Amino acid sequence: MTEVLQGAATKSAKYRSQFRIYVDIMHVIQRENNQAKPTRILYGANLSHDRLVKYLEELKALGVIQESGTEDKTYGLTQKGIEFLNNFRKVESFAGAFGFRI
Amino acid sequence: MEFIAFAIAIAVAYHALKGYRQFRERTLLFLNISFSLLGAGLLIDSLSIAVVLLASFRREFLPLVGFGYTINFITQVVAYGILVFAYLKQTGNVGHEAALAVLPITFFEHNAVSELILLFLLVYIAAQTAMNYSMNKTTNSLLVLGAFTSLAVSHFFFLLFTLAPIFFPFAHIAQLFGFLLLLGMLLRVNQ
Repeated sequence: MTEVLQGAATKSAKYRSQFRIYVDIMHVIQRENNQAKPTRILYGANLSHDRLVKYLEELKALGVIQESGTEDKTYGLTQKGIEFLNNFRKVESFAGAFGFRI
Repeated sequence: MEFIAFAIAIAVAYHALKGYRQFRERTLLFLNISFSLLGAGLLIDSLSIAVVLLASFRREFLPLVGFGYTINFITQVVAYGILVFAYLKQTGNVGHEAALAVLPITFFEHNAVSELILLFLLVYIAAQTAMNYSMNKTTNSLLVLGAFTSLAVSHFFFLLFTLAPIFFPFAHIAQLFGFLLLLGMLLRVNQ
C-alpha cells in the first residue's frame, strides 16, 4: 500500500497532491470516529463529489478504508489505514519540527 | 561529548531515512544526508581524539587531531549547506542563493573565517526554525529552534576559541546541549 501511495507523494506541486488528498480523507474519517458519511468527508477534505467518489474507490482498493452500510454508506479506516496514518503523523511531526512540510 | 552528539545525529538521520522510505519526501532525504554527514564527522573527530589520548599524546599521533577536526569541519559545512539548500528549495528561492550553500565547501582549514562560515549557515538555519516556531508554536519546533541556536552559539564559542582557549569547553557544552535538544524532539515524536 505504501508503495502505491509513494507514487502519489512524489508528485509535489503547488496544488494539493494526490497523496495529501488521501491523507486528508483518512484524517476526516478518523476524526468522525471511524464512521464517516460521504458528505462529511466531502466537506472535511474539501473535494467535489466526483473526485471524492474516485478517491474513496482508490483508497478502498489500497485496503486502507472500508465501506459499510447499503443505503446510508459510511467509511472507516482498516487496521492498515490506522497504522499508515499513525506513521504519517509521526513523520509529519518530525519533519514539521524542522519546518518542512510533507 | 562528541560521541554522544554522534549517536544523536545518527538517530535523527535514521528517523529521517525511515520517513523518506515510507513517504518519498525529498526534504526527509536532505535531513538524512545532512545528519549522516554530521554524525560521520563527529565520529571521526571523537575517534581521532580518543586515539591521541590512548597514545598518551605521543608526537607521531598528534596530527590525527588536526585530521579529525578537518574532516568534521568539511562534513559540517556540507551538512549545514544541504539544510540551507532544503530550506531555500522549500521556499522556492533556489536561485543564486543556492550557490551560498555550495560555496563554503571549498574552505577546508580551521580558522576564524571557516568558523564564521559555519556560524553563518547555522544562523540562517536557526532563523528558519525560528520562523517555523513562530507559525506552529509546537514544543517540537521549539526544541529544534533551541538545538540550532545552541549549535550556532557553540560555533561562536569555537570562533572565540581561536582568540582565547578558555572558550573551548563552552563550545563543546553548547554543541552537546544542541544535540540533546534534538534527542528530546526525537523522543517526543516517537511517544
